[in-house]
Amino acid sequence: MIFRTLSRSLGALLCAMTLAAPAFAQSVPQELLDNTRRAQIDSLTFCLDPTSVGAPFDRRVAKEIAGALLLNARFADAPSGFALDGAGYMEELQIAMNNRCDVMMGISLQPGSVFPDWLVFTRPYAQVPFVFAVDAASGYQRLGDLPPEATIGTALGSRGEREFIIYNTQQPQSRQWRRLPYADPALMLRRVQDGSLGGMLIWQPALRALGETQSEVAQLRVVPTDPVPVSVVSLGALVSSRDAFLRTQIDEAIGALVNDGTIARLLEELGYEGRPG
Amino acid sequence: MNVPFKHALLAVTALSVLTLPALAQDAGGARSYAPVTNDMILNPPAEEWLMWRRTLDNQGFSPLDTINKDNVDQLTLAWAWPMAEVGQQETAPLVHDGIMFLSTNQNIVQALDAKTGDLIWEYRHVLPELPASYGYQLNQARRQKNSIALYDDKVILATVDAKLVSLDAATGQVVWETQVYDSSLGYSYTVGPIVVNDKIISAISGCSIAQTAGGCYIAAHDVNTGEEIWRFNTLDDPNNPEQQASWGDVPPENRWGGTPWATGSYDPRTNTTFWGIGMPGPYAELVRGSGDGDVLYTNATLALDADTGERKWHYSHLPRDNWDLDSPFERVLIDEEVDGEMRHLLVTVAGKNGIAFALDRDTGEYLWSKETVYQNVVTSIDADGRVNINEDLIPTAIGEEKYICTSVSGGKLWQAGAYSPQTKAFYVPLTEACNTVSASQSEFTAGNAVGAMRFGPRVLPEGIENAGVIDAFSVIDGEDVWRHEQRTVPTSSLLATAGGLVFGGDAGRFVKAFDDETGEVLWEQRLNAPIGGHPMTYQIDGEQYVVIPAGFSAQAGSSASMYPEVPVPSGSGNSIFVFKLPANSGN
Repeated sequence: MIFRTLSRSLGALLCAMTLAAPAFAQSVPQELLDNTRRAQIDSLTFCLDPTSVGAPFDRRVAKEIAGALLLNARFADAPSGFALDGAGYMEELQIAMNNRCDVMMGISLQPGSVFPDWLVFTRPYAQVPFVFAVDAASGYQRLGDLPPEATIGTALGSRGEREFIIYNTQQPQSRQWRRLPYADPALMLRRVQDGSLGGMLIWQPALRALGETQSEVAQLRVVPTDPVPVSVVSLGALVSSRDAFLRTQIDEAIGALVNDGTIARLLEELGYEGRPG
Repeated sequence: MNVPFKHALLAVTALSVLTLPALAQDAGGARSYAPVTNDMILNPPAEEWLMWRRTLDNQGFSPLDTINKDNVDQLTLAWAWPMAEVGQQETAPLVHDGIMFLSTNQNIVQALDAKTGDLIWEYRHVLPELPASYGYQLNQARRQKNSIALYDDKVILATVDAKLVSLDAATGQVVWETQVYDSSLGYSYTVGPIVVNDKIISAISGCSIAQTAGGCYIAAHDVNTGEEIWRFNTLDDPNNPEQQASWGDVPPENRWGGTPWATGSYDPRTNTTFWGIGMPGPYAELVRGSGDGDVLYTNATLALDADTGERKWHYSHLPRDNWDLDSPFERVLIDEEVDGEMRHLLVTVAGKNGIAFALDRDTGEYLWSKETVYQNVVTSIDADGRVNINEDLIPTAIGEEKYICTSVSGGKLWQAGAYSPQTKAFYVPLTEACNTVSASQSEFTAGNAVGAMRFGPRVLPEGIENAGVIDAFSVIDGEDVWRHEQRTVPTSSLLATAGGLVFGGDAGRFVKAFDDETGEVLWEQRLNAPIGGHPMTYQIDGEQYVVIPAGFSAQAGSSASMYPEVPVPSGSGNSIFVFKLPANSGN
């Protein structure tokens, strides 16, 4: 297998690459950037956002990637919990990517990314959609059934919200829905139940995770987002742009996991909608 | 048995972890300390610096004049001190009874002999072990701005984990501490309080984090017990229908922002405290859903009764913000005669767009305004003070890019201006810069509600070559007094003195003393790092000292692309440098 022959050279390369001093912009004090060589030996360190609803899936994928490269997966927490504007995020990400992470999992790949050029995306490992949920007792069969006076809740700062806004703002004023952004899926659920919201646009893994703690999710019904285009998050990872060899190896590993059905199996096991790759 | 022993050991270990770092490191033995009385707070001794901007009116002026225009070029280093932690240099040293209280990153407080620079005690706040998911607090812990205040025999500390802590000023021992807000939601103190009339008046930040929706507060606590007296929510005022309507259909639970990012001021004549409020969240109305509403009290000045927290008035410096041009900066209280009438002014360069405002602080009445740097967002200000914005710059589509001046990093930023009653001029550190802004909805990690805006790099406005500006203007009518321009941006607050001087420093590591009447540079000294924090001055045994903080500056880093000929140090070098006149100077 291709990865077996490459694993040794990959390990050596990882050591060499972590020696090179990063030429990052001066946004964090140099003292915070560890200049020592990480003792990786036969492992890759994957960073995960522990607050992300996608973290369980990302963790499983990371283990499979490491396994495909005949390496062990180590895990560390990725920075999260920032303000809406992301102030401070790039600084904390820079520290994390320099000091402890080889790979940052669970990244939303999209055009117009704000990530700086010292980071590079891998290929996506899964496409997971947003879904639209309404009160099961309502007669709505699709998002387009909601009258213009209805209010729609969207997951704040999300890909789904983005696509909804793009569609909504292209409609005549009289046909535009009112929309409110929500950071808390449970609060959005309550507002659907009390009738404040006609429905909620939410990432499918978030709805699934909500169902594990809120029995009221059973009273929701997922309907097509039609006529609003379905929003899909391309899940991928970040590596340092100087780790070109690593990125190539991870891309090949993801490709193999997509092709051999591993990603599809993980999606099914975790109850995620969407598709591999 | 092993199990009880193990439990006991764990308990003791936990207790030790909790208490050991909080113990003061008394390096100099017991030392007497004269309490800071309320009268001193209201009228500080000339030779001391008791609070953020020395006086409750936030003027940043010292009546000391031993160091003056005639001798400032003789300044020599008295002593220097390295800061305790790495991070952004935004410290505001305080001095009382011969002791300098130095707050620094990670909520470390040090007491130093102000004459010799010797350590007296050090307090290290015990933060919980913050996981990576507390990214905002981890980041803010490295940029504590001015987190302490003095009162009675206490040092009051506002912490990154949303606590108020009272320290014994003589020893650094904790007297009491109270958890004011739930830091697990994202709340965090980044600026210090004012303390007057036995009340700690403070403001919280972290109000743009997803979990803090609907609640951003200015609050008062009992200085002796830490008990809350009142709390005012800048995002939700049920007593003001105008405020509620200004958010359109957006209920409080879907509102973010409104953070009071700078320490407020206080007028004892009317028992009123004044606070500047930051931007709304999400930044773009296209995303936040507030339509064309003013989204009060974001970007406003709030005048609150200091006993009850009830709103007296508000004034909106930038309604309907779409670009994170927030307006929370220092509100300066000045009494001056205008057209033969004594006016009680509030003067402020309130926001990042650099527009100076003068208001009647008793009523909130708008008096005048003045642009200080190039900006393209505000088109006009009506006679009644209504601020009109350039609606062509409001994003109407996701991804639509707008060219906005000033930039998201200002214009004006946290670096405070200073007022001299001798010249009746207000001196302000500013930056000429623009950037592109778009509502991008570019979430970072999937499902993470962060990253709703995208900002381009800072660039100089067309036709402008100097990024750095010190602007001096009259508080009577906003007329220009002088203007100093330079390539590098100012990175420290300013200090005005009765010696006819204005001190400040820049990203190029120069601290400068300007003639307060002409702007002429009378003295400059290059230090080890960008000048930062809040320069201040004090006097002991007839000798006047000037304190200059230097160290890591985010502004220096983010603006370096505008003047590549000036390299920024890669290390922090966070230190304070204390200057005085040489012994044989005859002063």
